[in-house]
Amino acid sequence: MPANIIEISAILMFIISFYGLISTKNIIKSIIFIVLMEVSVVMFWLSFGFSLGQLPPILSSIGGMEYIDVVGIENIADPFPQALMITAIIIGLSITAVNTIMFITLYRKYNTIDWDVAKERSLTE
Amino acid sequence: MLLIYLVIAPILVGVLLYFFHFKKATRILAILAQIGIFIGSIFLFIEARELTELYPIGRAFGMEGVTYNIGGFYYGMGIILVSDVLSAVFIMLTAFMFLLAIFYSFNENNTSLYWFLLFLWQGVLMGVFLSGDFFNIFVLLEVGTLVVTILILFSRKNRSLYDGLIYFMVNVVSMQFYLLGVGYIYRYTGTLNIYYANAQFANTGREYLMLPYALIMTFIVLKSALVPLYSWLPKAHGTKGAPSAVSALLSGLHIKSSVYLFLRFQYTFEIVALTEFFMVLGIITAIFGFVMALGQKDLKLILAYHTISQIGLIFTGLNMGITYSYMGALYHMMNHALFKSTLFLSGGIIAYAYGTRNVYEIRGVLKKMPVVGVATMLAVFGITGTPIFNGSISKYFISSETYGLMNWILIFMSLGTIVSFIKFSTILFGEPKKEIGEKKVDILQQIPIIVLGSLCFLGGIFGRQFIDILFNVQLTIDPAGYFEKSLIFFASLVVGYLLFKYYVKDSKLIKTAGAMELGFRSIIMAIGLFFATILLFVGFS
Repeated sequence: MPANIIEISAILMFIISFYGLISTKNIIKSIIFIVLMEVSVVMFWLSFGFSLGQLPPILSSIGGMEYIDVVGIENIADPFPQALMITAIIIGLSITAVNTIMFITLYRKYNTIDWDVAKERSLTE
Repeated sequence: MLLIYLVIAPILVGVLLYFFHFKKATRILAILAQIGIFIGSIFLFIEARELTELYPIGRAFGMEGVTYNIGGFYYGMGIILVSDVLSAVFIMLTAFMFLLAIFYSFNENNTSLYWFLLFLWQGVLMGVFLSGDFFNIFVLLEVGTLVVTILILFSRKNRSLYDGLIYFMVNVVSMQFYLLGVGYIYRYTGTLNIYYANAQFANTGREYLMLPYALIMTFIVLKSALVPLYSWLPKAHGTKGAPSAVSALLSGLHIKSSVYLFLRFQYTFEIVALTEFFMVLGIITAIFGFVMALGQKDLKLILAYHTISQIGLIFTGLNMGITYSYMGALYHMMNHALFKSTLFLSGGIIAYAYGTRNVYEIRGVLKKMPVVGVATMLAVFGITGTPIFNGSISKYFISSETYGLMNWILIFMSLGTIVSFIKFSTILFGEPKKEIGEKKVDILQQIPIIVLGSLCFLGGIFGRQFIDILFNVQLTIDPAGYFEKSLIFFASLVVGYLLFKYYVKDSKLIKTAGAMELGFRSIIMAIGLFFATILLFVGFS
């Protein structure tokens, strides 16, 4: 199964965001990198559901003929990854929301955006 | 039909409890509903036990058991709920533990949010145990992580906030690894069904499966807190803000869901599955866990670190490839749920009554609170593997067919457990140091502790019968071998006491080990390193 350009860039993005999570001390940036990671996974999923020139599987028949017979089964995009990724995107959205809320509360309490400082202050409390 | 009700009923009950203002009458309704769910789980168990049996080991039955096809799509496409005897046992355990947790928090927590989350959590766990679909598991675990995070942060005390943030973000990152792995599976096989994918993998080349296996196993190892990805667990399970019932369910039940998934995924990836690797990892985790536990002085943290150690023991038993060890480890999972939740619940009562969680300050629990003290003692007997208690049976089965070095390693693990619980049980004896206020122990909080404590005892006497009933596997206990293990236990008890008295109590090394704590970035780095390691091992095995 040959890899396409979208897939490669998705994997690259995953690795970059992973590196970002390791390298940054900033909690906000960590949250952003997590979002980036989610986006890259979504991109990866979409890369094998669709290739250029494929048609969406929406109609069931055209002019009294079966849709599949008219366009051919190899020309129809796989709807499954897209359906799943809508769920994943919504989950990602709520995760970002929760992360941000928790971070704001943490910031009000410890007055820092630095992981190490937050750890120290939470230990000494 | 029963399967879908078991997932949806708890969630619906939770929503109802949230919307109707929470008075005593609704709380009694909640208990009745929970009893109904428990009875339903027993019916499911009886049905599943007739259809499937758990032998030979490592085989996942799934589709032979009770199935329910949501939406009616054909085999391998739609979402499917399946239950064989293994998942039915876990479903029963879930319903039972939540029943006790509800009894425990009957008078403690009045907020409707808490009860809603508790029931939602139960529905999620039921879903994880029943689901036969990769993506479904992803969604359920994501919801589960969210629910657990809110419950950890529940009373907004002290460190809880930082602990909750770390727990949530680390778990979210691991979920992305899982989703990427599932993406590869869908790409190569065109299905998301756990059992159907296994059949499809025969046509897929072995080299294609390495990457998804490594990705998914990284996620499983993080979720079950094996070394080196254990660091979030003590934060979550031992945090100060979480209600005791939540900590008990986290350590007793929630962590088992990932071990269960491990068993399922090992079957799905039969072709590339590593076993020796996970056995060694289990041994390292077990030893690491109790060394860290020895360095703690917080009641809850000792128990939390000890969970890591016990999960290590369970992984060791599951991956040895011996039927007796495998069954012993499965039984140990049940036993661990019983005694660890007893300890967390009674620990909660003790900490509340004494106003502190420092084990060096609490003394004389047996005298002050006899019922709680006795239940704690039964659980300690269980966890250390005292003869005739449940821990001894499962530990006997795990080590019954091991020889040489492996046997010594298991004895060493057991010794570690004994030492850390000698430290823990010092709270039971002696005189209460300071006058504690007359805080009455709620009778409803005592019921679950007594039930769990006596189950620790019964599980030992009828250990063989319990395994027969639960898993439909007949094992034999060799009296001479069991007697030998008992002698080893008493010998290690003496050694453990001496070690505790003369070395552990004021050892600098153990204190530094106990204080060791990874930050967020180090945990993420550990995830990356572990992923690389497992990929290497899969590649070269």
